[in-house]
Amino acid sequence: MELSDLGGARLGLISEEAEQQDFSPDSASQMFHPAAERGGRTFQRFSVGTDDSLRFEACEDSSPSPTGAEDGHDDDDDVFKTGGTQELVSIRNQLQGKVAEMENFAGHLEEIFLTVEENFGRQEQNLEQHYNEVLQTLSQRYDDGASALQEEKKKKLESLYAQLLLCGQALDRSKDLIETAQEVHRNQDRRLFLKTVAAVIKRIEAFAKEEVDLTLSTSLEFKTPLADLSDVKTMMDSINVVPAPSAPVINPQTPNSASQTSLRVCWSLFSDDTVEFYELYYRPVLEEPPADSSSAPPASRVQVKETHCTVTELLPNAQYELWVTATNTTGISPASEKALYMTVPSPPVVRQRDSSSCPEAALIRWESGNANPVDSYTVELREAGSDGAAESMVAVPACQCLVQLQAGRRYLVSVRAVNIGGPSDRSDVITVSTTGTFFHLLEDTAHPCLSISEDGFSVFYGDEELPISAMALDDTTFTRCVAVLGDLIPVRGRHYWEVEVDEDTEFRVGVAYEDTERNSYLGTNRTSWCMRHIRTPSRHKYEFLHDGWSPDLRITVHPVRVGVALDYERGTLSFFNADLEQNLHTFHCRFQAYVLPCFSLDNPGALTVHNGSGAPEHVFA
Amino acid sequence: MRHRARPSRRGRDSAIEKRLIRVAQGSAKSARRRLYLVLIMKHYLVTKKLLCVCRSKMALTQVSSNKCAGGFQKVFEHDSTELKCKMKFAVYLPPKAETDKCPVMYWLSGLTCTEQNFITKAGSQLAAAEHGIIVVAPDTSPRGCNIEGEDESWDFGAGAGFYVDATQDPWKSNYRMYSYITEELPKLIIANFPTNPDRMSICGHSMGGHGALICALKNPGKYKAVSAFAPICNPIQCPWGQKAFSGYLGPDKSTWEPYDATVLAASYSGPQLDILIDQGRDDQFLSAGQLLPDNLISTCSEKKIPVVFRLQPGYDHSYFFIYSFMNDHIKHHAKYLNA
Repeated sequence: MELSDLGGARLGLISEEAEQQDFSPDSASQMFHPAAERGGRTFQRFSVGTDDSLRFEACEDSSPSPTGAEDGHDDDDDVFKTGGTQELVSIRNQLQGKVAEMENFAGHLEEIFLTVEENFGRQEQNLEQHYNEVLQTLSQRYDDGASALQEEKKKKLESLYAQLLLCGQALDRSKDLIETAQEVHRNQDRRLFLKTVAAVIKRIEAFAKEEVDLTLSTSLEFKTPLADLSDVKTMMDSINVVPAPSAPVINPQTPNSASQTSLRVCWSLFSDDTVEFYELYYRPVLEEPPADSSSAPPASRVQVKETHCTVTELLPNAQYELWVTATNTTGISPASEKALYMTVPSPPVVRQRDSSSCPEAALIRWESGNANPVDSYTVELREAGSDGAAESMVAVPACQCLVQLQAGRRYLVSVRAVNIGGPSDRSDVITVSTTGTFFHLLEDTAHPCLSISEDGFSVFYGDEELPISAMALDDTTFTRCVAVLGDLIPVRGRHYWEVEVDEDTEFRVGVAYEDTERNSYLGTNRTSWCMRHIRTPSRHKYEFLHDGWSPDLRITVHPVRVGVALDYERGTLSFFNADLEQNLHTFHCRFQAYVLPCFSLDNPGALTVHNGSGAPEHVFA
Repeated sequence: MRHRARPSRRGRDSAIEKRLIRVAQGSAKSARRRLYLVLIMKHYLVTKKLLCVCRSKMALTQVSSNKCAGGFQKVFEHDSTELKCKMKFAVYLPPKAETDKCPVMYWLSGLTCTEQNFITKAGSQLAAAEHGIIVVAPDTSPRGCNIEGEDESWDFGAGAGFYVDATQDPWKSNYRMYSYITEELPKLIIANFPTNPDRMSICGHSMGGHGALICALKNPGKYKAVSAFAPICNPIQCPWGQKAFSGYLGPDKSTWEPYDATVLAASYSGPQLDILIDQGRDDQFLSAGQLLPDNLISTCSEKKIPVVFRLQPGYDHSYFFIYSFMNDHIKHHAKYLNA
């Protein structure tokens, strides 16, 4: 087996591994034989990286004993085939496995090799940098010092020169004086001599009195100022000392890493600093900045050793500011940039009562469940009882969603709120059935005298007079007609529902536009159509009212269960005696907008709405 | 087999007979076998005779045929056994009749009408085609019977059969419109047209409305639907009815009651009905007290017979009124005939 030595210690492991393999000496000499010569046995060629000096030979599927070469093979065929083939195969598999391991290992080593190179490069760079800095500082100091000395020399020379000048001047003056005196002395004219000699004598006296300053103005010695090399010293020291870490880099929020009350924060180090621990600071971001800046909420602090941390006990749908510092023996790094993270919102609140459906679609409504706004909602629905995948509607902007469905099935629906932190937990699941049209009554629209049962489908008009205070000044409630509207899904299809009444109940049932006048009676305006039952002592009377007009009809059997069928496409509103399947009357009208079912009681009584079952066949025939 | 010219029908029949006789007498060994064969032969002969009779009586002659609304409006004539005269009736065959069996709606016309008024004025063909219903409209009385006095009034005699079986002379022999409508005509229609025998309904106007109502009330379950335009609801109480009944049925009012819709309603028991009645508010005969719908309504209210009675403002007694609401009526019938 030939193994080139690339750097002893590193490949020592491989050699050990190699030695464990029991390679026959024969195969060692056969290095480059192609597979064909081996009679079809597969080879595994292996080399590390681009350096071809490291080679492995495939382990032959020969027996581990060195004598299992080709030579004696043919003779021993029988012997091997009986018990030896299985052994051969297992051994071959083992060896193959070993080779694979070694491949992996060598690859790993390659990586380590590269990393070491990198590290070395980096360290070299650091060292160079450091020393360069020190050298630069030192040379600068030298320059400073030298220039200071020069300056001093100049100064001293100047002062000496000045002194010299002064002396020269003094000399000149005294010479001048002497000359003048001599001249005066040589003067023959006595009278002139007497005149000037006094002045000259005075001058000479004055001059003689003058002290001659012969001291040097400056000293001849230079003071060498003490060079301040303390910072150089610290730099030299710092080469040996681990530097304080640089500011970590905090990552932006990864999607789906946050929960309602926790955030998962990750950061990384820019460089290869050694760090003992990190400190993560966080505080909530308030909507309005506080009046005085000093009362910002205090930041909480968490100490961690890893480069990630999960912060808990937070508020849902809230924004937090986070930053992190790294600390080692030298000191604390500067703070990282502040990152804004957002926790996931609380799940929305979905109520069975707020949804309505029809065979083709369902309208789901919910409440946000969060005080602050969220970005959007995701509606998830799945067919009940099937293993089918759930469908999701994303980026729903408002708190309601109209979904297209298939008729005659039951669906399970839930909603999540979404913000930049991710989606919230799932809300409660409600069941939506697409059999027939299903709706609840809009309790907000009910006249104050009308009370609605707990299940929401029966209304009662009691005898008692309600106090005036109970009369709401609401825009949506009926004020004269004791009526209530139903929450029919706004889909242009066919809808059918039934109303159960008593023999003597005086009622009006039908449909009306959502903005029908709340202070007028159903059927007396152009925005409502209804069937009206009037009970006289002798008989029943029926009217089919719209815009105050009704056809003249007699009905002999009083319906106690009225079927109402609405067909937007055909523009018809039909009324039936549901028990007899008898058609009572049909309005033909092109509805300009979506209509809502309306129900009212003209005298104390009760009626019950039945919906959610499909229309009988005869209704839409 | 030797080839010979196909003998005539009579020849063929007699050949069969001869064979049967030969077989009966000849090769059969046992006496019992011979007996059976003789019986078969007898049965065969009797049936053949009967068929001959029936065929001649159920023979229809087509009088006219016009393509209409995708189907055919035809008029046929036949010899009526009940009325003992030649009678015409109109039949509308919708497109569906070419391939499938269809239900039948019988229309009974009012005073002075023939089978023509309905098919030319009522506008029923489009709706009948849409719903796939065969509409049969017979005449209102026997014709050409040469009875004295039959042409004297327009509201008695010819064109005013009142859909009763007369018991008085000289009417009792021919004026049997009730039996004609309820027995003979349906058999004729079933035998000659692609019909669903158990799906029929009845409808009419004025006197025909009266006819429709009494036929439905007197034959519970026979008609799947019934409706009427301005019917005479209570003939016993109105001038028309009194004149006709006294003429056809005699002075005993108890014989009139079985032909009065209001009376019949009071004692009706049978499958639930669903009666649609349209009445023009400006109908002169309504105001003249000939129609009396209120009586029927109050009886039906009491007896819980479902009726929807619509008083249509501005409409009179004419075919313009019928035309206006014919679609609603055919839809009403279709709901039950096609259910």
